[in-house]
Amino acid sequence: MANDREVLREIWDGKLPICFQLDQEEIMEIQQPDPFYVMVPRLSYFPLVTDKMKRHFLRYISQENADNEMWLDYNGQPLKWHYPIGFLYDLYCGSDPQLPWTLTVHFTKFPESILLRCPNKDVVEAHFMSTIKEADVLKHRGQVMSTMQKKDHNQLWLGLQNDKFDQFWAINRRLMESHGENEGFKHVPIRVYSDDGTCNQRLVSPKNNDGSRKVLQQLISELFPDKIEVNLRTHGIMIPPDTPLQWLSEHMSYPDNFLHLCVC
Amino acid sequence: MDEFGITVEEFINAINEFKNVSDQINDGWRIYENKNEIHKSYLKKESFINFDLQGELTLCKVEYNIFYNISYAVPSFSFNVWKSNGTLLTLEEIRQLSFIHIKREDFYSVITQQEHPLFGRPYFIMHPCHTAKLLAQFKLNSRNIIVTFLSLITPLLKLELPLEYGL
Repeated sequence: MANDREVLREIWDGKLPICFQLDQEEIMEIQQPDPFYVMVPRLSYFPLVTDKMKRHFLRYISQENADNEMWLDYNGQPLKWHYPIGFLYDLYCGSDPQLPWTLTVHFTKFPESILLRCPNKDVVEAHFMSTIKEADVLKHRGQVMSTMQKKDHNQLWLGLQNDKFDQFWAINRRLMESHGENEGFKHVPIRVYSDDGTCNQRLVSPKNNDGSRKVLQQLISELFPDKIEVNLRTHGIMIPPDTPLQWLSEHMSYPDNFLHLCVC
Repeated sequence: MDEFGITVEEFINAINEFKNVSDQINDGWRIYENKNEIHKSYLKKESFINFDLQGELTLCKVEYNIFYNISYAVPSFSFNVWKSNGTLLTLEEIRQLSFIHIKREDFYSVITQQEHPLFGRPYFIMHPCHTAKLLAQFKLNSRNIIVTFLSLITPLLKLELPLEYGL
């Protein structure tokens, strides 16, 4: 069970200051638009927090592009909206923090070979729910999600979308329980990303064969047998290598129920 | 989810068998083996098809992949369709190409654009939880799970599955 409520709360409250700037090539007005500053929850997704920003810049672009899909880049790197914002920051800025995080806004040249299409927020919800389902398949063979009611599923999504900790955790705590005789999940939903953004997903048990708790360092040695020292970061924190994987999964997973860890 | 699951080894055996039949009848499926991470091996087929896009016949390149979904422990199907100018067909365009008219809502719950777990790029992927349920009903009678799997999804797409696979 995710018992360290203070940790959960602290992670939920994590925010990032972001400075959005419109791509110079897309400005059609003589007057330059002001950059748009906003504090956003680390756990959220860009399409959920950019409505106001989009309206701000729409006045400055060619109207024939106004209905195009907006997308963002950091230093020329298109940002994948289907990852949580805090994870994207850790991936691209983790070792060289930059605040506010300055991002460029585009309405043309959508990089369709890199980014998923996101015509509306329903697509974000579908992506979020299917990721939670996958995590539950790994943890409990999918039994918790399949026994929940539709309203519980909605509550997870609305809790995240409206930044309501209690609403979200009232349901999410059921996904963080262990079932059966032995404590711990069947597998830990975990994705480890290299700095080029490539992801490594494999089946990871929270326990060793002898039943003892598996710690992060053991996973690192399995994933990177050739490297001497590898550190992993999530939520802006370097994770101590002796952290048990089960605890990590219960407390440091993103709302999509996956641990997203960046190599640093 | 409890209903079905195959191990990576079963998957690898099945794709090898499938590829052998494909070779015999020149069906064009190839295996891309990943020796270090065996679960990342996959089958791929590319073909060129003329599609009727809004009344205009357009030559498109189609790529199909069959890969192993490690979380659900099932074979998974992904594809992309490119027009000759290199742009991708949208999901709505693909829906309109389907042989069978399935309801709009149903289509979108079965096929979504996702970041491909092996390639890290956008592909259209069939949702694996349906796969698990469907394959569970056929597992006992299946000679090759890839053939069974493909025969379940080909009605949704313009992908022909020659009879030879069943013989």
